[in-house]
Amino acid sequence: MSLRNDDRRWGTVARFFHWIMALAIIGNGIFGLLMDLAHGPMQKINWLALHKSIGLTVLALFLLRVLWRLIDRRPPDEPGPRWQQIAAHAVHGVLYLLIAAIPLSGWWFNSVAGKPLQWFKLFNLPSLAAKNDHIADTVFAVHEYLFWFLVAVLVVHVGAALKHHVFDKDNVLRRMMPFGRPRP
Amino acid sequence: MNAFYSALLVLALTAPAVAAAADYTVQPATSTLSFAGTFQGAGFSGTFGKWNASIRYDAAHLNASKFDVTVDLASAKTGDKDRDTALPGADFFNVAKFPQAHFVTTGFRQSGAQVLADGNLTLHGVTKPVTLNVSFKPQGAGAVLDVAGSLKRLDFGVGGGDYADTSVIAADVKITAHLQLVAK
Repeated sequence: MSLRNDDRRWGTVARFFHWIMALAIIGNGIFGLLMDLAHGPMQKINWLALHKSIGLTVLALFLLRVLWRLIDRRPPDEPGPRWQQIAAHAVHGVLYLLIAAIPLSGWWFNSVAGKPLQWFKLFNLPSLAAKNDHIADTVFAVHEYLFWFLVAVLVVHVGAALKHHVFDKDNVLRRMMPFGRPRP
Repeated sequence: MNAFYSALLVLALTAPAVAAAADYTVQPATSTLSFAGTFQGAGFSGTFGKWNASIRYDAAHLNASKFDVTVDLASAKTGDKDRDTALPGADFFNVAKFPQAHFVTTGFRQSGAQVLADGNLTLHGVTKPVTLNVSFKPQGAGAVLDVAGSLKRLDFGVGGGDYADTSVIAADVKITAHLQLVAK
């Protein structure tokens, strides 16, 4: 177990970022879709506050993760067809973009809707834009469509990882698993 | 007209003015009645569009002074659609049952350089004492009156039930009024 990446697998820090963010993103995405099930306005206020707090946490983790990625050399690609390696990197790039863009679009929506933004009732963050009711619906649609785009990209990402694990029986998923070991 | 009748005429014209010198008419266009609270760690403020104030004031005769203010609660506006929809509702002001708030002074006192107005506020069917800081500045034929006070919203049952959570909607609400007065 190494904090840093090595040639065979992702280090503890990279795996921690990957899985904690996977959990937060998928959880918060489902939570976001369920907002309308809240019983009464106050519960919705509290649910939305939690959704926003988790989203901001994802954004903060994203920044730390990118920082770590700049410090820690990534493991070399697993052997495989060149097109698959290029496709994998392209998907990772899009995922990074969406992981930043979705919370930022939520923050933007929150700003134009003129709502406060508080992180787990601890401190407040400033608005990204002035209140503007005319564009609020559009910005919310951006937030939602970005999420559905993420779902589509995740299908590719998770599908490819499972394909490597189940059919190719290679190291692609294993080297990112929290407790698994790379195949010899 | 001889001097006697002239003197009598002057007396007749000025006597009621002297007796009523402490009564003022509010200039609604330049006067505001505001409230300010905190939601999710962020301050917000609102104004009441419809209210009436009967002001009798004389800094030299505080015991003859009196404020009597009636506020049309349905006229509250804070610039937020959700909040402005919620405020008149049963959970907050409940304007269907309690359309007006009423403040009437019970006495004035001097505290150092500050004049304080003690009074009773009836809001949401509850009457409680509220004290206001008074700043009265004679100006031309009238005066500028600024008052400021603070109340605990739950003392009046405003925002009860689910909304009683003061970690989301703060307990304290500040009241301020800026009145342009013209002597009657």
